[in-house]
Amino acid sequence: MSLWRLTLLIALFNVMTFGNGPVMIPLLQTHLVEGARVLTADQLLYAFTIARVTPGQANFYVASIGYMLYGMPGAIVATLAIVLPGYVMIPLLRGFEHLRDSRWINGLTKGLTVTSVGLILAAVVQIARGALTQPIAWVVLIATLVMTQLLKWNILVTLAVATCLGLLLKWSL
Amino acid sequence: MKSDEDKRQSGTRVTRGELFSIFLKAGLAFGGGLGILAVLEDELVSKRRAVTKEEFLTIYGIGRIVPSGTMTALAVAYGYKFGGLSGTVIALTALSLPVFVLTIALTIAYHYLRNSRLFDLLPVTIMPAALALIVVAALKLGKDVFRPSRELVIACVAFALAFFLRLNPALILLAGGVLGAFVLQKIEAGNATEKKDASK
Repeated sequence: MSLWRLTLLIALFNVMTFGNGPVMIPLLQTHLVEGARVLTADQLLYAFTIARVTPGQANFYVASIGYMLYGMPGAIVATLAIVLPGYVMIPLLRGFEHLRDSRWINGLTKGLTVTSVGLILAAVVQIARGALTQPIAWVVLIATLVMTQLLKWNILVTLAVATCLGLLLKWSL
Repeated sequence: MKSDEDKRQSGTRVTRGELFSIFLKAGLAFGGGLGILAVLEDELVSKRRAVTKEEFLTIYGIGRIVPSGTMTALAVAYGYKFGGLSGTVIALTALSLPVFVLTIALTIAYHYLRNSRLFDLLPVTIMPAALALIVVAALKLGKDVFRPSRELVIACVAFALAFFLRLNPALILLAGGVLGAFVLQKIEAGNATEKKDASK
């Protein structure tokens, strides 16, 4: 996959998902991990983890993917691909305010969101089948879900505890 | 371009230096979009009164339909409002600098990790945790999805098409968006947004 093609894919996916980081996961998984096989599932998961622990915009993990594949030029180009569509804001500010209230746009974004829930979960199962080969991994996954969903712990704390749990289990079993 | 015409209600001007520091501060905020939004609200509306509350909400509303991250769109909007095209570059750079630098640093860390024995531990630590975080992200997106509703049906069909039939998720996403435009329009009449047919 050339840098040009990667940029095009990232730009396309970003526009399609309205720049939503998690929603891009199934698209990247299908095209970069399964399709072109230029990225491993591990790399995709690592990049997503970065997005969760860094401040700022949540779709910037594509810079990480760009860096993994093409070094600094890849990171910069991938970033530009997701930032530049933001300039659509200027014409919108200058007289298309009514678009915001459009029921069609409302339905469209709702449809995209709802569909992406199904797609994300499908991608998770897909990745899990390949990546979670050890029982310990399942324990860590469930523990992480409990810590974030039920206990509402901070993401950094959760990741630290999950990592420690995995290491402890690995070394003690 | 005529950048200075937009200051309809805004009393205070925001200089380029302030623009940079406000968006740098926003870029350092944790908690994704909402964290950034809170900083911008505090700096632009509460402290400086450079933007009215209504204007802030309107710009946020428009930003949500821009096909980039909403916060990226806000940086363009306020950069343009206070500094024209060069203002957009200043705001975008400031907002993106922290996340970009950290992302690259952590990616470089991955390269080192890859060549060490620690790499074998990733499948039982960060990887399953990351998968869990993706699930959490999906759950957050779909508040309406997890109860009997049209939304639930669409999400399930999308799952089945992607998982069992292995259709391209990009195509499924587009189809879902178009379908949503027809069947998920919010009815704007008062509280009757959700008709009672949802449970049947």
